[in-house]
Amino acid sequence: MATILPPAPLNRPRTLMVGTAFITSAALMFFGCLFSIYFSIRSDTLAWGMEWFPENAIELVPGGMNMATLSISVATMGWAVYAVKNDDRIHAYLALILTALMGIAMINQTVFYYMDIGLPIDHSEAALLLYVITGAHLVMVGIGVIWLGLLLLRAFGGQDTSRHRDLVSAASIYWYSTVFIYIFIWLFIYIGK
Amino acid sequence: MKNESTVVERIVTTTESATLSRYWMVSALIGLLFSSVAGLLVSLERIDLSTASIFSTADDVFQFWTAHRVALVLIAVLPLMIGLATAIVPRQVGASRLVFPRMSAFSFWVWLFGALIIIIGFLANGGVGTPEATSETQSVALTLVGVLLAIIGICGASTSVLTTIVAGRAPGISLINIPAFSWSVLVAGTMWLATLPVLVANTVLVYVDMRGRAPVNFGSEAVVWEQLSWAFTHPQVYLWVLPLLGIVAEIISAAFKNKISNPFLFTAIGLTGAAGFGAYAQTYFDIGTPVFEEAFSIIQAFIAIPAVLLVVAFISPKIKDLKGFDKQTTTPAVLATLSIVLLLHGVVVGAVHVIGPLELATRSTVSAQIVLTLGAGVLACMAAFSWWGELLIGKSISQRKILISGLTFHFGVGIFAVADFLVGFTGQNDFTGVSEFAAGTDGSSWVETLNVISFIGSLLILLGVIAAIATTVQHVLSKTPATGNPWGVDAPEWKLTEKEEVA
Repeated sequence: MATILPPAPLNRPRTLMVGTAFITSAALMFFGCLFSIYFSIRSDTLAWGMEWFPENAIELVPGGMNMATLSISVATMGWAVYAVKNDDRIHAYLALILTALMGIAMINQTVFYYMDIGLPIDHSEAALLLYVITGAHLVMVGIGVIWLGLLLLRAFGGQDTSRHRDLVSAASIYWYSTVFIYIFIWLFIYIGK
Repeated sequence: MKNESTVVERIVTTTESATLSRYWMVSALIGLLFSSVAGLLVSLERIDLSTASIFSTADDVFQFWTAHRVALVLIAVLPLMIGLATAIVPRQVGASRLVFPRMSAFSFWVWLFGALIIIIGFLANGGVGTPEATSETQSVALTLVGVLLAIIGICGASTSVLTTIVAGRAPGISLINIPAFSWSVLVAGTMWLATLPVLVANTVLVYVDMRGRAPVNFGSEAVVWEQLSWAFTHPQVYLWVLPLLGIVAEIISAAFKNKISNPFLFTAIGLTGAAGFGAYAQTYFDIGTPVFEEAFSIIQAFIAIPAVLLVVAFISPKIKDLKGFDKQTTTPAVLATLSIVLLLHGVVVGAVHVIGPLELATRSTVSAQIVLTLGAGVLACMAAFSWWGELLIGKSISQRKILISGLTFHFGVGIFAVADFLVGFTGQNDFTGVSEFAAGTDGSSWVETLNVISFIGSLLILLGVIAAIATTVQHVLSKTPATGNPWGVDAPEWKLTEKEEVA
């Protein structure tokens, strides 16, 4: 007689982490493609002796500020995971709120920079790629902030505990990848120009 | 308690994997019909390129030519594969249901919405732009939105299936022990998630440029297709049909009662997946030096290596015991064998067409390769429907009808591919219409004859698709109950009882 396999438990502990890892990998490929096109066209443009970004169009300070903000958010996100793991609810609330605020601050700074930069989107391929890459990253940060907001609501409802912390861990994977992508934006667009 | 929900509510809110699978597959068949009609019209126009028979301009031909390919991949083949995986994978890995069932359902509706927008966009003179830029910019933008939504839907559904395989397996089942179909879906889904976002990035770039003020480059309607075309040609098309290998392995193993060695087969499937990664073959990465071109050709021809391994994997166990063939499994076995034969031909044509001196890279040979490969995928899905049909729709399956539609489709693909492969050597371009359409071709009798044969192939493909749709609808409406395990095979998907309804 054939053996019937037992069904898997309904809520496997790592499904959220694995699912988030898959989606985050897809996001990395998305930005990988945009960066590849950026480097390819930049290389061609410079090889022809033409200008990539106009002189002084890209300033280091806004990019640096964003990088610093997101770097701090890495620490606060880690703090949130640690606090939830230890059932330290007050610290968990505080860490999640701070991380979300960092994200909002980053969005605010970037939008302000867009208004200040004086580089229209149809100026050149460089300008278009700048707005598409940083804009797509803003969307990613925005999704992260919404996710953190939902986590906060769940935490207030007593749902994220040391036994059920998968959603917080999954959010941290997503958030770290968001910061990881920004490192490339900072290095190659703001510093490397 | 009495269920108060209406039919529409039940349709829209269902999270049952078997039901979602049916939605995916039926919608995909309609998408396949759209693609086949577009392909048939282009073939019909190609019979006499000296005058306009159906379309008034070369750009009109281009619209349908691109519609055929975009629909074939995004609205037909990928959803068919996902539909199969949605129903079969949870059963094969011993999961009580699909992980993230709501996301899976949401993904289907997002995809469906995107697929409808794509079709509307093409019919509204949009599509993916045209060489002479006579398309409607707004409609092109609409089509791009449709493409984005369709890809998001496919990625969401893939994530759900992949997570089921990786984290939702029953305890004690290691990845090396999962059935071949689930393994092929794992490899294919991973590669889809690695390449579809690249297509999204291309599409977003085009869309933003197009919707901005004057397009700087990417959003010019004349170059949209150029930027997206890598996803609809060699080697990327192999990735779209990768689950075919798992389907064929399962059916052939059962038909000959001789299991194909897992590690060997799994390695071959993994290598095919790796070799099929085509996201690098983009316009912007082509630096145009001879060294690069040569390296590019060699890399692309490497796809032949895993194909050889696959042949060995499939054939070697059968040679030992041909008498073991179970005649009851004739329909799925025949269709599965024909699909792998089509795929291998597609691989060979793909490897040949990148050989520089032959100058086939932009000829009709490309079309032959695409139709062979994607046609193999569709045929494998027909074989899968024949094999797992009872699980998919819960009704008894008429094997003869599936065999007839599958054979019609197969011969259509074969005839089309042979004609397009040969006509490529005469110098006919992959897209015939940019210059030839207006000016007229040299019109040798060989070219015309081969184009007529190609049209006959397209017609048979369409007939096969119509027959498949009719057969599917007939089965869905049938009242003959499923017989249980019709093949008597010892496979997990036939043993588990689904308990999927989300409380």
